Amino acid sequence: MSTPALEVRDLWSGYGDQDVLRGIDLVLEPRTIVALIGANGAGKSTLLRTLSGLLRPHRGEAKLYGESIFCLPPHKVVERGFVQSPEGKQLFLGMSIRENLLVGAQNKRARARRDQTLEEVFELFPILRERQALNASTLSGGQQQMVAVGRALMALPRVLALDEPSLGLAPIMVDRLFESIAKIKERDLTILIIEQNVFQVLEMADYGYVLENGVMTLNGTGAELLADDHLRASYLGL
Amino acid sequence: MDLLTLSFAVINGLLIGGIYGGVALGLSLIFGVMRVINFAHGSFLMLAMYCSYLLWASLGLHPYVSILATVPFLFIVGYFVQGVVISPLFKRERALVVEPTSALLLTAGVYLVVDNIVLMAFGPDVRSVAVDITYESIFVAGLPINLARLIGFLAAIVVAAALSFWLKHSEMGRAIRATAQNRDAASLSGINVQRVYNVTFGLGCAVLGLFGALLVPFFSITPNIGLSFGIKSFLVVVLGGIGSIPGSILGGLLLGVFESVASQFVTATSAAIFSFGLFIAILLLRPAGLMGRA
Repeated sequence: MSTPALEVRDLWSGYGDQDVLRGIDLVLEPRTIVALIGANGAGKSTLLRTLSGLLRPHRGEAKLYGESIFCLPPHKVVERGFVQSPEGKQLFLGMSIRENLLVGAQNKRARARRDQTLEEVFELFPILRERQALNASTLSGGQQQMVAVGRALMALPRVLALDEPSLGLAPIMVDRLFESIAKIKERDLTILIIEQNVFQVLEMADYGYVLENGVMTLNGTGAELLADDHLRASYLGL
Repeated sequence: MDLLTLSFAVINGLLIGGIYGGVALGLSLIFGVMRVINFAHGSFLMLAMYCSYLLWASLGLHPYVSILATVPFLFIVGYFVQGVVISPLFKRERALVVEPTSALLLTAGVYLVVDNIVLMAFGPDVRSVAVDITYESIFVAGLPINLARLIGFLAAIVVAAALSFWLKHSEMGRAIRATAQNRDAASLSGINVQRVYNVTFGLGCAVLGLFGALLVPFFSITPNIGLSFGIKSFLVVVLGGIGSIPGSILGGLLLGVFESVASQFVTATSAAIFSFGLFIAILLLRPAGLMGRA
């Protein structure tokens, strides 16, 4: 078996002394899309914040292609290749779209081929090329999400984490976004995606995990999870 | 009051006001990016003035030449004060979404330490630098304009313009603006936020290195000169709008002219009452400052 793109073992983390995550195990095989599903407050964003280095974990281990990214400061985690597009987009609203994207290319590796990556992001989201000089605050929610994903791509991630990319988007924009994510996967990239659109994301994902109250309760291929009675009852209302 | 005296007061107010604005630039930049009110701001200016004074007294360097030393020195001081003294606060609060208000108390501590070290080293004596430029003036429409103040005024405008340009167009400037807007998003984009903070703090202090040297030809130096400048800078920044560079200059000009004109009617010390009155009035009418975003 090849080295996993991302391997998380027995991760405990939370705010202050309070554990939100209680012993998380998570494995992402290279070049797969993995969905992370869970209700509000289950700890999905806490997991991403911990992996990104914004939150200091209490214990456990996290490895990116066999190298530990545990307890590194956020910019080092990005440099190693774990990049997240945060929940709620978190754009720099006082800056132009182009500048928002350029900010994403901070590390040396990304900076060296910045113009090329920018061109690729514009190919993926042509609307951003047209509007690159405009202020990021002038965009619709869907377009802002494109900027957020584009900004993460600018860092040349090996593992890209998307935190609720479809939040607040019109259904048509969600479809387009998922098409784009499928295209991004062709870039030899591993994707971890947190979603509320459980049905849609599981159809696309190679593998899925279900997080409940800080513990992984279920995992399996997208098709397996979609067929699971507990999941159907809790998340799809079937 | 005749027109001549009044125009003289206005011109003098504009000149000193520009310098107030220049001195306040660093405070505004640091607050805008880090949300830290640097209580030790004036102390760093005082440090720059002593640095310039010492170079003049020991080596005979003209204060304007000493800029070559004071600016890098103050940059280094600022860089390390942030990196060593202030950054542990940010690290401690990393996990929480808290604005580090404790930084105000911490920098107040820095102010006490710096002021008292200088007091211990140099004593409370008032010192001044005697250079020719102190007494040189040029005449515009029959009104004398003090050259040293004019240079300080022009320096403030140039530094403000250069700083704005640099923030807008350089890679580091972009990283600083991104960090100012959203610290977490900047981290997640791969920006080394601690380094951005160090550079920002260093820059804010480097500007003081410049103005310290520009001030010594016409300002006496004492270990406690920093506090009055610090308070004025705070006033200027709040008047102009926190984090706004043009606002800092505008706030400075306003305060300078107001002080200067008011002191034509009352004594200079009571004029401060009116400055604070103006401060309160603007806060009531425009709480975000003149150029600040609400």
